Amino acid sequence: MKQVYKRDLERLWQTISEHFELYLPLEQDGKVNFMPWKQGENVNIDRLKTDLSPKNIIFPPTETYLKFRTVNKRLCFESVGGKNDKYVVFGMRPCDAASYSILDKVFLQEPIDRFYEERRTNGIIISLACSEPEETCFCSSFGIAADNPVLGTDIAAWDIGESILWQPKSEKGKKLTGILDNILQDTSEHEIIALERLQQSIREKLAQLPWVDLDLEIISNNMKEMFESKVWEELSKSCLGCGVCTFVCPTCHCFDIQDFGAERNGERFRCWDSCMYSDFTRMAHGNPRKTQTERFRQRFMHKLVYFLNNNGVYACVGCGRCVEKCPVNMNIVKVIKKLGGD
Amino acid sequence: MDKTTVRMQQIALQTLANGEVDVILGWKKGDEWYDSYPVVINDINETAELIWDAFCVNNLSKYLITELKKNLRIGVFLKGCDSLAFNQLVIDNRIDSERVVIFGLPCPGMIDPQKVKHAGLNKGLLKVERTGDKIVFITKEGVKEYIGRSFDYDKCLNCRCPNPVVSKYMLSDAVTRTDEEQYFPDVTEIEKMPLEARYDYWTKQFSKCIKCYACRNICPLCSCETCVFDNIAAGVSSKADADCEQQFFHIIRAYHVAGRCVDCGECSRVCPVGIPLEKLNRKIIKDINQLYGDYTADTDIAKSPPLGTYKVDDFDPFDGSKQGGKK
Amino acid sequence: MSCNCQKNVDSLIPQVAVIDSIRKETADVATFRIITPAGGKSFDFLPGQCAMISIPPIGEAIFSITSSPTEQRFLEFSIKKCGSVTECLHSMEIGSEVGIRGPYGNHFPVNDVLRGRDLLFIAGGIGLAPLRSVINYIMDNRRDYGTVDIIYGARSPEDLVHQEDIMNFWPKQINTKVHLTVDRAVDGWSGHVGFVPSYIKELGLANNKVALVCGPPIMIKLGLQALEQVGFKREQIYTTLELKMKCGVGKCGRCNIGDKYVCKDGPVFRCDELQQLPDEY
Ligand code: SF4
Ligand code: SF4
Ligand code: SF4
Ligand code: SF4
Ligand code: FES
Repeated sequence: MKQVYKRDLERLWQTISEHFELYLPLEQDGKVNFMPWKQGENVNIDRLKTDLSPKNIIFPPTETYLKFRTVNKRLCFESVGGKNDKYVVFGMRPCDAASYSILDKVFLQEPIDRFYEERRTNGIIISLACSEPEETCFCSSFGIAADNPVLGTDIAAWDIGESILWQPKSEKGKKLTGILDNILQDTSEHEIIALERLQQSIREKLAQLPWVDLDLEIISNNMKEMFESKVWEELSKSCLGCGVCTFVCPTCHCFDIQDFGAERNGERFRCWDSCMYSDFTRMAHGNPRKTQTERFRQRFMHKLVYFLNNNGVYACVGCGRCVEKCPVNMNIVKVIKKLGGD
Repeated sequence: MDKTTVRMQQIALQTLANGEVDVILGWKKGDEWYDSYPVVINDINETAELIWDAFCVNNLSKYLITELKKNLRIGVFLKGCDSLAFNQLVIDNRIDSERVVIFGLPCPGMIDPQKVKHAGLNKGLLKVERTGDKIVFITKEGVKEYIGRSFDYDKCLNCRCPNPVVSKYMLSDAVTRTDEEQYFPDVTEIEKMPLEARYDYWTKQFSKCIKCYACRNICPLCSCETCVFDNIAAGVSSKADADCEQQFFHIIRAYHVAGRCVDCGECSRVCPVGIPLEKLNRKIIKDINQLYGDYTADTDIAKSPPLGTYKVDDFDPFDGSKQGGKK
Repeated sequence: MSCNCQKNVDSLIPQVAVIDSIRKETADVATFRIITPAGGKSFDFLPGQCAMISIPPIGEAIFSITSSPTEQRFLEFSIKKCGSVTECLHSMEIGSEVGIRGPYGNHFPVNDVLRGRDLLFIAGGIGLAPLRSVINYIMDNRRDYGTVDIIYGARSPEDLVHQEDIMNFWPKQINTKVHLTVDRAVDGWSGHVGFVPSYIKELGLANNKVALVCGPPIMIKLGLQALEQVGFKREQIYTTLELKMKCGVGKCGRCNIGDKYVCKDGPVFRCDELQQLPDEY
């Protein structure tokens, strides 16, 4: 276990950024999001949740992957895109780091997604435990430990006040730790006690939160019954189909593919899409999800049933972003409770 | 219980029971302090769950469009700003006002849960009560009181219409605003910027857009059956995250609601990346007022909308003789 | 400018292909024969699988392959004009280049379940396209399979696709019968008149066959009912589905029915498996 004193943080970031691209939670116009850091940026590592999830780092909102053009009347495709720069993300929360391991199940499954794989292998994730979990957090319902970052984590970190504790969890994490040798300090008994105290206090705070132990079994074991539930119609009435819940969600991964450009000279890109949108499954001759009720149902059935059946985990990490951002206060927790998983 | 809530439940029960309306659009309370959400009810037993508090921020008038297709007569609770949107929907021929019974709610302002959170007041918070400018936070540990509007949504701080402009039943006394605010301070501030800086400002703001379209979907007046940005045949690359596409989207949207925008501020409220969309709309409102005389969408449905009427002496920006620019 | 086509390593990257011939089937259906620029077929596949065809800058769409895997020279697609990509395809000329990637999805179990069995094909309209791939595969390996009955219907005689196969080629093969039907009687049509589902019942075929069904959703639904009425079990029936698709590789998330992705776990489903899934297709 190592540590970095808070007064050395700026120096730490500086050194990291000499070797890697560095993503930090930056505050701009009151919103905090992970963005590439430069000296002088307004870093905010105290804000618990960034407004958007950090999925954009490994799965950008729009990504051009193909260029097409006509050369001497012949069509030519050129594969472009991807990311080769190595980068570090500092201060990701355990739920968000865990979401990376969920996205892995989709994009690293055969056939492996080249762009995603490049981004994943090129990144080092430093995940910071949550000293102050909030009412909208329900990570523990999905088995994620806010006091002990593990999933998707290369280096686990804890803010114990004076300093931030630093524990490499993977080979990549160890390498980075080596590079930062002259800034990271050794720890003593004193810090270990402080860590234990912090973890204890996090666990106590978590236990006080309203949604710590949502029970999903009744939902996830009954695909057809849940699909046919009356609840969907009732809950979806207020849903605007805006898709904010899917865009801020760290585990939502649906995308669209579109062409952009003129006659045979342009590019093909993929971009985030949402099952909440009316055109998501619309075909020229019909739409299997005609109303918002079916689209709304898809979102939650996917997260709580389908994804689990296919991958053995839920497609939700309990980050609570959808709870905070839905313009009409509709969210996964309400759905879980209504379906009987209280 | 809050007096207005009592009145709300009574009137809902009464109008449903006597058949004046078939369904009611209102709000219910979820388990959390900030969670007041829109509901459509037709069961008189559910009227006891309706509530009015400082989190009933959702404008219910847009739901009328879909619900009026399924129900004959609807009772709806509307705040001041909501009633403006209602009127505009009537002018736009989107809803049949004859089939709607409005319960008016004079509104002291809605509380922004994010401001409460950023002030650190959300820990162990159970309930928030508001009477006028007095806000009471009830927590596990005890009660804290605040006077003032520091927790109001920004849009509520700029409100120019807290009292419903149309209603059949008014549920409480009109509220009076004590603070005399200047209506377009934010717009004036941007207008003062040099052209380049203004361009940079908006370019930067729009580049944050993730194209979730929440601003459009929440907007009571973005009510097209198929939005041009959802229509692939229209040839707009609606989902491309390219600066020009984002600017295109926002400018088109601003123009589509120009003259109809009621400045309810919902677009800015819901934008997950914090683009100050209201500034764009307010600039257009300000310009319309200057060019075509004061017009507030939509306090009066009898008045004809400025961009929907033509007068011979209207300002004509395409008439070169009155314009600057290269001749 | 040099061409970088060789770098195409990712599953979303198409290869260039050339339209070698276009055969008009009906007023709005044509069969496109597609080859690589050097000549030959773009990739191997099994009957029932699909491919994405792209026409930049319009976009991509998924189609089932209608030629037989045994055909080494080209791939064929029977495509109905319906939507922007298909409209554009129909306006293209021989020699034009398009993009192609695939094959995607599973296939009809030609190498196990279907072997040695008597087979019943039921198709409506353009739904013959994927089944034609299986039928011709079977014709090329005729001894491995039992009898073949093909029930094929369309709105009118002009809407029957692959006329050469249904009228001349298939009826001449051993132990093979083609039963054609059209929805409404018209002059010059001496064959059967009526909808496919009722024709299934009228024909009184033995119910120990394996049935392969493809057509418009309503025909599939009523066709299944008819098959059950004449004693087929759902385990004996296979069908192939069509949903909106973008990636074709189980990632973009839009082609699911419950926990199955049509592009990856389908498009071919055995009907008893399909029954386990939510009714959303
Ligand atoms: S569904 Fe909601 S709580 Fe779950 S991961 Fe997504 S945004 Fe977070
Ligand atoms: S919830 Fe919807 S948008 Fe999110 S991953 Fe599932 S299908 Fe895609
Ligand atoms: S649940 Fe909320 S955030 Fe999601 S689409 Fe519906 S209204 Fe938008
Ligand atoms: S709500 Fe914000 S991010 Fe979403 S489309 Fe509108 S401006 Fe863009
Ligand atoms: S087409 Fe993308 S998941 Fe099936």
